[in-house]
Amino acid sequence: MHPAIFIGAAVSLGCLFALQEWISSRFWNYQIHLGLLLQAWGVQYFIWGVICWVIWWKLSPQINNATLRTMLTFFLPLSIAVGVFEEMIWILIFPTLPHGRPPMPYWRRLAFVLDGEMIDNIVLFWCAFFLFRGLGYYQRFREKERAESQLQSQLVQAQMRALRMQLNPHFLFNTMNGISSLMRSDVQAADLMLEQLSRLLRITLHRGEAQFITLSDEMEFIEMYLAMQDRRFAGRVRQQMSIDPHLHDAIVPTMILQPIVENAYAHGLSKLNSEGLLHIEATSDGSRLCLSVTNNGLGLHLTPPNGKSKGVGLTNVQDRLRMHYGDNHSFSITEIKNNTVQVIVKLPLQLSERPIEKSTRYGVS
Amino acid sequence: MIQAVLADDEVLARQKLRQLLREIPEIEVAGEGATAAETIDLVRATNPDLLFLDVRMPDMDGFDIVGELSNGSQSLPCIIFTTAYDRYALRAFEINAVDYLLKPFTLERFRAATERALQQIKAKQQNPHAHAAKSQNGSPYTTRIVFKSKGRILFLPVSEICWIGAEENYVRICTQSETHLLRETMAHLEEKLDPSTFLRVHRSSIVNLQYVKEVRPEVDGEYGVLLNNGQKISMSRSYRSRIKYWLDR
Repeated sequence: MHPAIFIGAAVSLGCLFALQEWISSRFWNYQIHLGLLLQAWGVQYFIWGVICWVIWWKLSPQINNATLRTMLTFFLPLSIAVGVFEEMIWILIFPTLPHGRPPMPYWRRLAFVLDGEMIDNIVLFWCAFFLFRGLGYYQRFREKERAESQLQSQLVQAQMRALRMQLNPHFLFNTMNGISSLMRSDVQAADLMLEQLSRLLRITLHRGEAQFITLSDEMEFIEMYLAMQDRRFAGRVRQQMSIDPHLHDAIVPTMILQPIVENAYAHGLSKLNSEGLLHIEATSDGSRLCLSVTNNGLGLHLTPPNGKSKGVGLTNVQDRLRMHYGDNHSFSITEIKNNTVQVIVKLPLQLSERPIEKSTRYGVS
Repeated sequence: MIQAVLADDEVLARQKLRQLLREIPEIEVAGEGATAAETIDLVRATNPDLLFLDVRMPDMDGFDIVGELSNGSQSLPCIIFTTAYDRYALRAFEINAVDYLLKPFTLERFRAATERALQQIKAKQQNPHAHAAKSQNGSPYTTRIVFKSKGRILFLPVSEICWIGAEENYVRICTQSETHLLRETMAHLEEKLDPSTFLRVHRSSIVNLQYVKEVRPEVDGEYGVLLNNGQKISMSRSYRSRIKYWLDR
């Protein structure tokens, strides 16, 4: 803390004491000049202010950690020494005091003043001691609180990162395996797949750590992903997308659709030999965004209805939705017709307010 | 024969360019540069028509090379950038590079870039002053646009756009093979496009007349525009007179 705080507080306290003495002396019909009182008390408490500041500055760790033993063996003697020291300075500054007495040598005056004030000084010292100790506790308490909240947010972020990371690698390795396989049979196709994978990675890297993106950005990624799946399943699956143009700017959690689409392939569409259909739709009822992914794969009857069969991907989606929206969302997976499975995610509708980007440029060549 | 210089500090990258160029018989490799200094010397010595240029080179970046070359007396070759970084695309576009290939690229993408370069080079050879004249009279209409779509950078000549559809704050640009969603307004785009080729037929669509097959009446008294690829775009009454005028020409 700044020394001015200590000195200012102490001097104001001294002035109050001076005022009190002045009023009480008037009450007893005893004439004493207010200026003199203010001077004497003001200087005394100014000295105390400086002493307190020095103690705070040099000794606050010791004050905070003091045991009863150090209080008795160190601070108690210190309080006496400080009390005497303060009066020694004060007497040096006011050689004419005490009033109405014949002039006395320095040591006699010191003894006289100490006789009256020593107890007060010791009390004052200990008041400051416990005040500082209390302040120390409070500071440490605040620091701990801040550290805890920081830790909490770091934890959430780390969880989010972990959840997002789980989505990518196995897709990455499967794709690399696909490329590795194509390299032997069809170099051009391997080349194309590698390029598509690079584009996907580029989009992902570009997003960085963003937890939310616009639906148009999410769909850009999904389109790329679907193009790669299409190559893998060689036209066995028809892909349909219908996105309400009003919803291009809707804000969604990053990579919310990809695991659902991946799941549709893994548990449904990949098992079909032909006539597969994947339908992705985004609609809104005004306040809520509704995303649905429908596939006519195998239906749900082959997989047990408990959560475990859903795999990491969908559990992940649900965890993230819960973290972001609490109870303000819904997630359902149902068999709407024979063998047709639909996943529906409903979120509060929020539209991005970013301005029209200037990343498109026009030119003449 | 068109002469090309390849500049890349990585030998495998140059090898790939060489291999892909084998598929394009009109282009002959005049030399390879592994550093900026080498590239500058090589270009000055061989005066090529086309330069494949990596942005990041050990001694200077690709733009420094272009700056250095344009200080010379020779005319600058057509430039196709090949790089792993997407952040230099706008700069490349501004210095009139032919294309910007993000590594790794496919033969197909490479072919599109070189075809564009060949067209430009041929146009320049036939009429060496055409380019200068064109930029002097300062046509107010754009001939190509640059944007990022699906992890790629595209320098798209507007002549490849079949039609454009409005989707709220976005426009969907449709070429014959692909569609791209851009955050842009119809009004702004319409302003940039040459009205003798691009016609607004509806509040939410602009068509490129080069791709229009016919205009025909629909059952409800409205008209529809039929594109060469079989796609139908509806037309609103207020715009009909405009398209009739163009089609009757």
